[in-house]
Amino acid sequence: MKQIENLIARIAQRININLRELNFNLTPYIQNVLPLGQLAKFYAFYGITPHHPLNFHFSHSNLAGSYFLGKCRVDHSVLYKSDIRGDELKRKDDIFLFGDHRIPVYEDERIQIRDSFLIKTLVHNYSHDPESLETFFIHDTMSMHYANIHGSPTEGCFLGTFSTVDLTTAHDCVIGRFSYVQVGEISHIHVEPGTIWIKKDKAFNFLYRYPRQKLDSYVNFKFGEGPPRGIIMDFIQERKSDFKRVFDEIHLELPITIPPGASVDRFAVIKKKTRISENVLVAQRAYIQNSFLGKGANAQENCYIVNSHLDGYDVTAHGAKIIEARLGKKVFVGFNSFLRGTPDYPLTIGEGCIVMPHTLIDLIEPLTIPSGHLVWGYISNSHDLKDHSISLEEFSKIKDGLVMGELLFEGDGEQFVEGFQHRIEHILEANGAYFDGKHNRGHAQQNQNISFNTIQPYPDGEREGLYSTISILP
Amino acid sequence: MKTYQVKDLMIPLTEYATVDEEATLFDAVTALEKAQLAFDHSRYQHRAILILDKEGKVVGKLSQIDVLRALEPKYAEMQGSNGLARYGFSRKFMKSMLTQYHLWESPLKNICHKAGEKRVRDFMYTPTEGEYVPEDAMLDEAIHQLVLGQHQSLLVTKDNDIVGILRLTDVFAAVFHVMKECSL
Repeated sequence: MKQIENLIARIAQRININLRELNFNLTPYIQNVLPLGQLAKFYAFYGITPHHPLNFHFSHSNLAGSYFLGKCRVDHSVLYKSDIRGDELKRKDDIFLFGDHRIPVYEDERIQIRDSFLIKTLVHNYSHDPESLETFFIHDTMSMHYANIHGSPTEGCFLGTFSTVDLTTAHDCVIGRFSYVQVGEISHIHVEPGTIWIKKDKAFNFLYRYPRQKLDSYVNFKFGEGPPRGIIMDFIQERKSDFKRVFDEIHLELPITIPPGASVDRFAVIKKKTRISENVLVAQRAYIQNSFLGKGANAQENCYIVNSHLDGYDVTAHGAKIIEARLGKKVFVGFNSFLRGTPDYPLTIGEGCIVMPHTLIDLIEPLTIPSGHLVWGYISNSHDLKDHSISLEEFSKIKDGLVMGELLFEGDGEQFVEGFQHRIEHILEANGAYFDGKHNRGHAQQNQNISFNTIQPYPDGEREGLYSTISILP
Repeated sequence: MKTYQVKDLMIPLTEYATVDEEATLFDAVTALEKAQLAFDHSRYQHRAILILDKEGKVVGKLSQIDVLRALEPKYAEMQGSNGLARYGFSRKFMKSMLTQYHLWESPLKNICHKAGEKRVRDFMYTPTEGEYVPEDAMLDEAIHQLVLGQHQSLLVTKDNDIVGILRLTDVFAAVFHVMKECSL
């Protein structure tokens, strides 16, 4: 595995150079977090559909267990069990709106990953950088387990476990574990772990930071102790063997019937007693157990929905977990949120609620969140809920700012709420939730026709674990 | 800058303000004043207090900001108070936090009580790896660390012991001295 070792050293050096100003040393992360032997164990796979451009190029890289869709180039990188999902990339002649500018896209957009090390990371959406419309780049970047790089070109960045960069171009930044950043553009910033930061220039600025002790019990990482730990990692670990079967077997029988307009990815885990309604989308690496998903609901990559009922048109964003809960219609559960009721202490979330990305709800008593509320932070009982929620109507009335416990909000509440609601509608449309048998086709319908091919690394020798140079074209 | 070594400019540990972990804020501030009075080599005063364990090893540092934060306990309750400036809030909004969080409404009234009650171990700051520099390092290396880490001072080591403190102000004075020699 000499060549892989050299490759990892090269990636570490490049990222360290980018992060020198922040005094951040990547080497202990990259050296200890993944046993090298794992990299030679797994096949990579890619999707072929009539709806997406087929254009892959892989060189001098390890792609262990990773999935690719759309137009993508990977050079000098290690991608471990990551999803590079290019089904929302811009197409030639699309018009990109930026402020008052209408910028035409001159060729199909491509995801370009170079000198990067991504672990169990989701890459999705399209570049929101007006300076890089045709290339969604990820250069000199390391992302830890279950990070999300969503519509966010990154260069010279370290993304901690369960962190998300969303619609934000990031240059030379460290994003701490379980932090969520959606601010348009950042450079040379160290975002502390557990920071939820959403900022739109001249409109609003939302900041919440988790108490460090609370955060550590859910997500933590110590050098030399292997992968990250904590309650959320334990939850995932306990269900790992179910995924092994899904990836090992070629022909799988789903234990449920899929209604018209719905799609369940072949690499999702569907346990018995699950019911799926029309126009539901279940993405790869999602996990559904003993749950009901109403019409137009979706479960995206790395989502877990267990013993729960979703009324319909609910968005469960990448990496969110919903356990022992009942959700009304159009509830949005943001990226990597962890919502856990128990049989004795169930969680009920009313219609139209927005659960902010990276919210932790872990109940010690039954809890009902009233309809139309915004929820954030850590909540274990009704007392916490009082300090970490507000009705959307009330939030929309904010003109200057709000200080509420650890939440700092400056700016216009109405623009913040409208921005979220607009985005939720866009997600439902893109996922095909409103498909009527003819119109409003989205991912749920397009993903019904998909084939998968696998590719394998060198099994032994100096190149062990590396994939040969491969170009795949129509 | 290669003509200076760190040990040429450092303040020896014995001339710096130090207290043990059990000391109160009052003990710390008193130690700082005492060290400032005794230290007459420079017009620049010491600005931090080093915290020593039972074996006399440096385990922490207390800056002037740490002392001020300690006097308003609500800062400790506010998760977002450290390094808030980087997140782009306006001055007007930051000011509104004074009233929203009821900051500084009573701390100055009870200052004597608090100074005698609060322990430095609860407010001290543990220096990170980038804040140590060997005594035989050249000045350019120390300047590099001060710039990258935006530190006010570095702890100077000899073998495994801390033997002194290198203050930004002394480094600046040395640089200024060289600059003055220029025939501009």
